[in-house]
Amino acid sequence: MKQNYFLAKWLNGELSEEQLLQHISQEEIDVYKKIANTANQFEAPDYNVESEYDAVLAKKSATKIKRLNSNFVKYTFRIAAMVAIIIVSYYYFSNTKTIYATKFAEKTSFELPDQSKVFLNASSEISFSEKKWKKNRNLDLMGEAYFSVKKGSKFTVNTAIGSVAVLGTKFNVVVRDQFFEVQCFEGLVSATFLGKTAKIPAGNSLRVLNSKIEFLENKAETNPSWLKNNSTFESMPFSYVIKELERQFNVKVVYNSAIASTLFTGTFTHTDLDLALKAVSIPLNLNYTIKKDTVILQKNEN
Amino acid sequence: MNLEQNKNYCNEKKFSEFFLNQSKNLNNYIYYKCGNLELAKDIVQDAFLKFWNNCEKVIPGKAKSYLYTIANNIFLNEFAKSTVVLKFKSHKTPDITNQNPEYLMEEKQFGDKLQNAISKLTEAQRIAFLMNRIDGKKYAEIAEILDISVKGVEKRIHGALVSLRKTIGNI
Repeated sequence: MKQNYFLAKWLNGELSEEQLLQHISQEEIDVYKKIANTANQFEAPDYNVESEYDAVLAKKSATKIKRLNSNFVKYTFRIAAMVAIIIVSYYYFSNTKTIYATKFAEKTSFELPDQSKVFLNASSEISFSEKKWKKNRNLDLMGEAYFSVKKGSKFTVNTAIGSVAVLGTKFNVVVRDQFFEVQCFEGLVSATFLGKTAKIPAGNSLRVLNSKIEFLENKAETNPSWLKNNSTFESMPFSYVIKELERQFNVKVVYNSAIASTLFTGTFTHTDLDLALKAVSIPLNLNYTIKKDTVILQKNEN
Repeated sequence: MNLEQNKNYCNEKKFSEFFLNQSKNLNNYIYYKCGNLELAKDIVQDAFLKFWNNCEKVIPGKAKSYLYTIANNIFLNEFAKSTVVLKFKSHKTPDITNQNPEYLMEEKQFGDKLQNAISKLTEAQRIAFLMNRIDGKKYAEIAEILDISVKGVEKRIHGALVSLRKTIGNI
């Protein structure tokens, strides 16, 4: 026989009180009515959506620090924090520049005074003068950043190798030793290198590796893969791929220098060290061993 | 503006909208489970954080159930079950026909008895009952969130009502 949860049906409005009388007494019905009405008047617990959201964002930046739990690391971070405070105070008093920097295995994002959005990859730094922004829209970049520029806004990104002039667009800039790359995803950017200027429209990129210039087409991407926690490379020297892996996971990788200039095309994830190591070692027929935070790559003897 | 990002929860705008729509209900749900508001808020924050860290894995349309799965797992893994005590404030509905102080006192006492009785329900009955009475959720939505059938929800609600009447009747 099918179970008839008549009280639930009554509560839901599917049964009337008269129909309920077939199962229970009027006295009981009155108690149920009182229970239902009183419970209905209870208020849900207090919850402030905005402050809770801020707490989530705060936890997001603090997460990587929480994971490292040993006392030694806590001690090191305290020292680092003190040094950081001293450095920041120095910058504040002497330069009045705004600086955003990321460490190994860290990414961050922020807004420029014109509300353009900037995403910083690991081990990178951007600095600019907030006070002088109206007259002098220049910022300095070390490392890698993706810019989503507010329409109608113009500014210049300066790096040690080249500079990029922006015209209301979305683009990614990388500058690491001897490597400079500008990828344009939307709009138009203009990149200058050694006195030469080139315009890079959406869907294209300019790459300078060891002073050699190349123009490439992006594969219908809408934004750089590192924003989605993947690093993608096309014909890049293996040494660069490994350096980026070291930055993302904060590990040291040891390998035979003979393969440093072997060209690599592929992708590794930022979320799992094993998967990432597989992705870079298998194409080159290597094995990997992890010892604490050092990885050793060796040729596969099979 | 960012049309290409609309399907992906890794986009901050989409994530914050998702937070806006789901956080309070999730907080209520966890609170109904454990009766500890600070704990509930903490679990909600951690659940959204884990959701964000796994944002690429999220299938549109399954985001809410993924979020609840994460929250349930955090609850089970990290927090032991202790006695549940739930406290609720009451809407003050002005009853113009009866402002008699004795009546109001009796109403308050009944409210307190009911709170205690709710805390003594099984977790399953308590959650379903409160989601219906306080959050105003229909049985179909409760069924979806708890991953059970509508019949299952009816069973819990029916059981909750019977249990509450018995507990209150015994005081």
